[in-house]
Amino acid sequence: MNDIDRLVKAIDRAPRPPAQGSAARELRAAIMETPQRRWKVPRRLPVLLSAVTAVAAAVAIGVGLPAYGPATEYANAAVSLARADDYVNVTITDPTADYREFEEAFRAVGLNVRVKVIPVAPDEVGQLIGPIVPEGFKGPGSVGVTRTPCQSAFCGKVWLPAGLKQLVVFGVGRAAEPGEPYAEDRPYDVMYGEEAVKGYTSRGKTVADVRAELRRRGLKAAYRLLWRDSDGAGFFDQIVSADQIKDDWIVDGTRFRSSDAVDLYVTPGPGTGPRPDPLKVRTPQWYDLTD
Amino acid sequence: MTRQDRFEAIYDAYYPAIHQYAARRTGSPDDTADIVSETFLTAWRRIRDVPEGERALLWLYGVARRVLANQRRGATRRLELADRLRDELAAERPVTPVDLDHVRAAFEALPERDREVLALACWEELTGEEIAEVVGCTAIAARTRLHRARKRLAALLEREPSSTIAMGEA
Repeated sequence: MNDIDRLVKAIDRAPRPPAQGSAARELRAAIMETPQRRWKVPRRLPVLLSAVTAVAAAVAIGVGLPAYGPATEYANAAVSLARADDYVNVTITDPTADYREFEEAFRAVGLNVRVKVIPVAPDEVGQLIGPIVPEGFKGPGSVGVTRTPCQSAFCGKVWLPAGLKQLVVFGVGRAAEPGEPYAEDRPYDVMYGEEAVKGYTSRGKTVADVRAELRRRGLKAAYRLLWRDSDGAGFFDQIVSADQIKDDWIVDGTRFRSSDAVDLYVTPGPGTGPRPDPLKVRTPQWYDLTD
Repeated sequence: MTRQDRFEAIYDAYYPAIHQYAARRTGSPDDTADIVSETFLTAWRRIRDVPEGERALLWLYGVARRVLANQRRGATRRLELADRLRDELAAERPVTPVDLDHVRAAFEALPERDREVLALACWEELTGEEIAEVVGCTAIAARTRLHRARKRLAALLEREPSSTIAMGEA
């Protein structure tokens, strides 16, 4: 090790390995309780059960209402909520319900929430999407969601710090119409890529090859340029038209845009032009508040 | 060995290293906890992708690197699982000795690419080949980047008269 390396080593902010305390072991256990792959969670029985439940719970009920302040539990035909200190147990019984029924329930337990019923792929119908804090979560604490397999459309815990005053946006997935674009509920997986078409690997192939395969399967192609940061770690994508893409550029991955169209995430090739300002080409998001 | 057994073995073997990786590159126990939890959550979800043997650690470093990059991009969603770690981590943050502040200042003045390879070489003590695997480049490129980073840091420190004192202590 030379002098420079010794100097860098001397400014190491964490020179000693940490003890693996009880919290670390709890974290290990908590991680192992989560589903390993989202699409491997057992499928629910959304529609049949929700119809029965909707009749049974046609009238919204407040359970455990304190004399003042928000309820600790609330249920209506669409959703049941139970509020704890830093999370809310959520059971969605009718994903097709009007968004106001979901908002009513969240507000009843004291949360400043907007709910959007958004078009999703068939395997995400009834799922709770988000939560998103549009203005940026300021803490303390954390927000997130843990899904639990169950017989309703969605069961799980939504983690929100007690006393959170910021506006939180949730989506509830509804089945998209044929050809209707799906809402993007998560960023593209730039680390591992994604593959939309079963039994076909698009990653590393040319645009022309992937487009031909999609055509063979009766699918339309749509395009996004994948702009990576100079160190390859961050990225953003830009929706572009077919004439902005060259046949010999390389595809990073694919994702269904709708029931009949697939987005090709394409690495910009020679002659692409300058990297755009990400804010100016930002893809509209399902949680944007336009009204 | 079941997936559960394998994950437990990986977690127990590499939790300290991933914790250190995160703590070295973040400004708060909150951020460290987020990176540790998200890295291992990824490992759990992709346990079949985690390489065997010690290459698992390089794979985990690669994941942590991406998680860190996403965190720096200002992600608004944070993982609830990290909550439990924060208090435990808060007590463990050491302080850089004051007489090395100029070294840290010079280090921070380097481009991110330089800092990354220097840190992986000096803090995680990775070889050029291992750095290449973590950052996704060739071994030759990693060694070249490391060489240039050392030269640039040396040049910055030469402008600091006190650097010779620190070097004598290191």
